[in-house]
Amino acid sequence: MNRLYLLLALVVSANCHAHYIPTDDGLVVNASLAATWSSSSVVDEYDYWQIPGTLMGGHAWPREEGVQIDELTLGLGYRFQERAFAVVELGSHAADEDHENEIELQHAYLGYVCCDTTGPWVIEIGQMTAAFSPGLAEHSADRMVSDAPLINDVFFGRDFHDKGIRLWWHETAGFSAGAELWRGDAFPATASGDNAWDLFGRYQWQTGGLSGSFGGWIYRSSASSRADHRYGGSHQHTPVAPPGTTASVFPDVRFTGDTDVYGVHGELGYRMAPDWRLGVKTEVMWAEIDGLVHDASSRQASVQGDQWGGWVQPYMGWQEHTFGVRGDWLSTDNQLVGAAAPVLAVDSGLANEKGHDPERVTVFWHWQWHPSLALRTEVIQDNTLPDEDLRWLFGVVWKDQLSPGSGSSGGHPH
Amino acid sequence: MATPTQWCFPLLKVNSLRYRLNRNSARVRVCALALLLPWASGCLDQSSTRVDDQGARVSSYDWGLPDSIPLPRVPEDNPMTEEKFQLGRHLFYDARLSANGTISCSSCHQQDKAFTDGKVHALGASGQPHPRNSQALVNVAWNNILTWGNPSLGTIEKQIMVPLYGDDPIEHGLNEANHEQVLRSLQAEPVYPPLFAEAFPDQDDPLYSDQAWDNIVKALASFVRGLVSFDSDYDRGELSASALRGEKLFNSERLECFHCHAGYNFTDATVDRLTSVNQLQFHNTGLYNIDGLGAYPEPNTGRHEVTGNPAHMGQFRAQNLRNVALTAPYNHDGSVATLEEVIRNYAAGGRVLTSPPNAGDGRMNPYKDGFITSFEISDQEIQDVIAFLESLTDRNFITNPRFSNPWTQDSEQD
Repeated sequence: MNRLYLLLALVVSANCHAHYIPTDDGLVVNASLAATWSSSSVVDEYDYWQIPGTLMGGHAWPREEGVQIDELTLGLGYRFQERAFAVVELGSHAADEDHENEIELQHAYLGYVCCDTTGPWVIEIGQMTAAFSPGLAEHSADRMVSDAPLINDVFFGRDFHDKGIRLWWHETAGFSAGAELWRGDAFPATASGDNAWDLFGRYQWQTGGLSGSFGGWIYRSSASSRADHRYGGSHQHTPVAPPGTTASVFPDVRFTGDTDVYGVHGELGYRMAPDWRLGVKTEVMWAEIDGLVHDASSRQASVQGDQWGGWVQPYMGWQEHTFGVRGDWLSTDNQLVGAAAPVLAVDSGLANEKGHDPERVTVFWHWQWHPSLALRTEVIQDNTLPDEDLRWLFGVVWKDQLSPGSGSSGGHPH
Repeated sequence: MATPTQWCFPLLKVNSLRYRLNRNSARVRVCALALLLPWASGCLDQSSTRVDDQGARVSSYDWGLPDSIPLPRVPEDNPMTEEKFQLGRHLFYDARLSANGTISCSSCHQQDKAFTDGKVHALGASGQPHPRNSQALVNVAWNNILTWGNPSLGTIEKQIMVPLYGDDPIEHGLNEANHEQVLRSLQAEPVYPPLFAEAFPDQDDPLYSDQAWDNIVKALASFVRGLVSFDSDYDRGELSASALRGEKLFNSERLECFHCHAGYNFTDATVDRLTSVNQLQFHNTGLYNIDGLGAYPEPNTGRHEVTGNPAHMGQFRAQNLRNVALTAPYNHDGSVATLEEVIRNYAAGGRVLTSPPNAGDGRMNPYKDGFITSFEISDQEIQDVIAFLESLTDRNFITNPRFSNPWTQDSEQD
């Protein structure tokens, strides 16, 4: 079955919009806002979202009941020279009640395009989103569904912004390939570990009504005393819960070691008629974890993990409406060895006594009601935790180019 | 046990998706989605996490511990046995184990006071007062250091040599000149030969050979190591309303108690089979500042006595708080009479002494621990914290016949 998923990933491909090179239109300003109402929360108040068998972190916050701002971004791109450009993006992502959405600098990088005869080659340096995985670079406003893929949450803490340098061969006859070197601020790396890096390549084509792309990548990282910064990593105290409610302090277990992730992705689209289209998108990732889990009490255990998962999203479009389903799955195989292994397995989240297989199915209807405004409805059967949950989501997505004005092609998406 | 189909790709389970608005609304089946994904017919490997604690929970000695408490470390050359524990118990309560037959271990370590003596300073066999307050012997097996301020004493076996043979101050008063005579007095006691034989079955003559003193020390250490207390109201979760308030204060950002009095023994000087690194922690609590430069009165300068490092002035081990309500007076020199006074000293950020011989403002001690900062606390809150500390009293521990004097008629004679 694994080979089937791999084959599927190789024959279809994905696109992405989160990273772009400004064209020569001068200053380009983009903005987006995605807000979603959910009928229920993934976890109760005073609980932590920890998928059994995984080491989570980054910004992988659980969906909460009620209205949530999934994303708010303001991006500026400027081609200040024929071959040089700059991109700045401010944004915030959904957090939880105790961790308000903080505006952060997601992009601040300079780029240079050269070597037209063999390329073009593009070099970019600064704070950037990774380009190796198109799905990882997508914001909520770019997706048909509001939630990030499960593998993004587990393997990369939902999104990936880091300081680094990227050199890539850019869309030459449909091919792109490149390498990125990262400082290591983004989960699953830490800046105190060795540098993280990745290699990627992809190909995209279009023939008549058929279009597609596929690609693959390798990402390698190391971490030193990496915390789950969603809930831990700093001064820890027992949350003050109202009488009758149980609240426990988050176990601040750290990970030191290597995490290597490999992925393939793809998208296949077919326009059957002017108003009808079919397609499928997918990404599959494998993660190898090798290191130690440890805590402040000097307890430690070695951990080796082989985890893999993915998502597949078949969809059908009619005029401005898109109907589809996304299936997410994850499979984990971990081994902890050491005197403290039983305790640390539980505290770190790696314990999986019941052999739980995290799964999630999202059925969606996305309506691009206006060129810059979309509405989406989702039904999610969420089995990421042993306690199943089914919830409804209603969301609104606004995405527009504020300058030089809607409709202008101010950027070149990848 | 799950059937194979339950582990199949989640989209196959869409037929049984249950729609639950707000978790309680009507259930509706969604059908036919699996038809969109003909490839979704395989099954994933079931996730698993294997844990190997390398025998850390295995012991031939019955420690009588709750499941949540890890086993203590035991020296390889002195494994715990019930026979050694019982021999050590007899020796612990035997005044013949002193130069003049006046002092036993139990003289300064009395069971009804959690194995301390209730005095500011204990008197040794020669009548010389000890500069330090007698320590409680509660869960000593988990201590990573055994005295108030000596970082070099890491095992009970080593520490026991200090009261037996130490001459500054004299405690039991043993020395080269009298130890043969003391040993002969033990050999003359008919209870001992069978106890020694049972405790050291591999030795031909454990009470009369050259190993006799080594055996005595190992047996004493085994008894002390076996003094286990985990049966308080706190352990049973039977806290009064006042104690619950006190627990929250204890663990609060305001009081900061829990940083040094951490974990299941309420001290950061804890080591067990699960810990991999022995972190030695000592703290200056601002009790003295006799020269305005941070000095503590001689000879009680704590860790500084051993290391000579000025930065170690006034540093002592954080005490295990189990049964602390029974162990007054407090601090290393017994200079604080009550728990309330201890808390008020911490609330002031140190102790101010206005009269000789040790006048000084401990609040201004430059070597004071960073957690000893002043805080506001009401009289009621002080009583709440005391109520919490009193909830750590283990009544079974101080009345358990197993730990009592075997030389009296009403004791348990195993």
